[in-house]
Amino acid sequence: MPKGQWWRGLLARVTFAYMVGALLLSAIVVVTSYATTRTRLLTEEESSARSLFVSNAREVRRKLAALPADSDAEVRRTKYGEAVEGSRRSNGSIPLLVSPSGESHGTLSRDEIPDDLRTVVGANEIAEFRYRQMNDEQEIETFYAVGVGLADFGAEYYEIRGLADLESTLNDLLRILLAAAAAASLAGAGLGYYSARRALAPVTRISGAAQAIAAGDFKTRLDLQVDPDLAVLSQSFNGMVDALGARIERDERFASDVSHELRSPLMTLTASLEVLERRIVSLPEVAQRAVHLLRDDLTRFERLVEDLLEISRMDAGAVQLQLSTFGLGEFLINVITQSHSPQIRLEHSERNRDLRVTADKRRLAQVITNLITNANKYGGGATEITFKRIGDVVQITVEDEGPGVPESERTKIFDRFSRISSDAGRRSSDSGVGLGLSLVAEHVRLHDGRVWVTDRLDGRQGARFVIELPEGEDDDADEEMAI
Amino acid sequence: MGTRILTVEDDERIRQAVTMALEEEGWDVTEAANGEVALDSFSTDPADVVLIDIMLPGIDGFEVCRSIRRASDVPIIMVTARADTHDVVAGLEAGADDYLTKPFAPKELSARIRAMLRRARSSEPGDLERIGVGELEISPEEGLVLKNGEELHLTKTEFKLLVELASQPGKVFSREVLLERVWGYDYFGDGRLVDVHVRRLRTKVEDDPASPRYVVTSRGLGYKLQP
Repeated sequence: MPKGQWWRGLLARVTFAYMVGALLLSAIVVVTSYATTRTRLLTEEESSARSLFVSNAREVRRKLAALPADSDAEVRRTKYGEAVEGSRRSNGSIPLLVSPSGESHGTLSRDEIPDDLRTVVGANEIAEFRYRQMNDEQEIETFYAVGVGLADFGAEYYEIRGLADLESTLNDLLRILLAAAAAASLAGAGLGYYSARRALAPVTRISGAAQAIAAGDFKTRLDLQVDPDLAVLSQSFNGMVDALGARIERDERFASDVSHELRSPLMTLTASLEVLERRIVSLPEVAQRAVHLLRDDLTRFERLVEDLLEISRMDAGAVQLQLSTFGLGEFLINVITQSHSPQIRLEHSERNRDLRVTADKRRLAQVITNLITNANKYGGGATEITFKRIGDVVQITVEDEGPGVPESERTKIFDRFSRISSDAGRRSSDSGVGLGLSLVAEHVRLHDGRVWVTDRLDGRQGARFVIELPEGEDDDADEEMAI
Repeated sequence: MGTRILTVEDDERIRQAVTMALEEEGWDVTEAANGEVALDSFSTDPADVVLIDIMLPGIDGFEVCRSIRRASDVPIIMVTARADTHDVVAGLEAGADDYLTKPFAPKELSARIRAMLRRARSSEPGDLERIGVGELEISPEEGLVLKNGEELHLTKTEFKLLVELASQPGKVFSREVLLERVWGYDYFGDGRLVDVHVRRLRTKVEDDPASPRYVVTSRGLGYKLQP
């Protein structure tokens, strides 16, 4: 699965859409059911409170009417108080009687009645009012108040009921509804995930098959029986794999045929030339010169064929590295010996003496040999090879004392059949084609390494080729490499 | 009579040229243009060394190799088109002792043949004592390996490999060293030769080749004979 924006994936999007859908639906249900329930409960509570309060007010009025008109202020006050006391019987409601003189009777202060309500009641009406206020426990609470103007006596009767119980019931309900909504959203997401997975299962299968094919298993096919809806896709997928497999096989067979076709005459030439060389002393001088020419160009031709085949194998992705772990010092000594270039110094620090690297020995040898050959052709011969470990990479350098490589050519020289455009320093006798350095680049790339060319570090004229390889695990490929 | 080489190669010009070059090197050469001819020739008049091209019409090189190997421990060299294919391992597993890739120099082939015909040697000159390791008894002089008193049938190369390892039991031999001592290769020999031969050797000397008791891998270093 590609890294990065997973949330853009079909699976994530379908899951998300299902979740949002479930959330929206349950939100609508929550809002409507909460609002309806709340309205219904409040209305019921308030209407029962109101009829109670109004009948209380009526009782107060009756008591006040029983009061002789000429009773003194003290008696009046007592009676007012008694009238209020007598009405205190509904659950949790608090009555308040305001005398004509503005005096409050009851546990409530007149100031606690909202102004709006008082204004209405002052105009001799029955008024009700719902408001929110800080209660005794310093919490905001909703109160329901009814005011009755007792105009006959110039008094006002109020009764207030806190709706805390109802509110907490409603809050509980809201919490339950929200929890249900959240659960519904999650269930929606789960359903979305499940159905998306179900819907995407064929895609997963196809992607699995594609991966297997990319890994080189061309026998992988999709089962056509699984889902008739996807049969067309499966068929074209299988058709594509067939075509691809056939094509790769054809390319490989071609490379192998070409290889065989080219090697056969080369084999005859090599063996025959060897017979001639064995008998060279018995040949006339001109024939001897011809044999030498043949030998030189046969060698060159062989190398060219090898390089071309190697490159075409790389292009076909058919190269498999034969990795093993070996000591770099011993390896380079052997490469230098084999290249017949005794002038090359091999330098390394004491610390790197036993440096080991995991690589394809034959290919790495070809890399170094090609660099030495390149230095012989263009740089007057390689002078020094070094190796060292830097962090977790191994660096090998090959230096010469030639004219160096101009900056503009430093990437181009690793291209196929490229030559340094200026003739400076090039030995004209051997105009070898430039496959050597491109093979160097390809081999190094196969090893997950890098190669580049710079000036010499000591400031003297010459090129310095640097190969950087990952050190690799120091596990021996053991026999598995042969299997 | 000189050493006789059976060359199995279907391409007539190659066959002629290789035969010519090998005869120049001093070997007696018998030619075979295909697998059937080669098997006939070998059964009536066994050669000392067999050179087989893998790509043969009819019976392919692997099959020729297997047939000859069933009957004989003669050194066999396979000729392949490419070194980096499975062909090499398949050829070695079919019983070949060594391989060359086309085009090879007949001089190189001669060197390979000489290396193969060289007797198994003990690393100490003159020390041709029998070596006993566990149930194994190795006599370099007679070219014999006994396990619990019974003779094991090893090819010459397998035998040389075993003798080399047995020359210093417990010592780890790197692939490079074994390639040089058994096959006569320089540093750049193909390590797969050692690996496949070790595997073949194990099927003959070990009770359980999957968990060897004698020929033991030393991770990252090579192989040793467990004393």
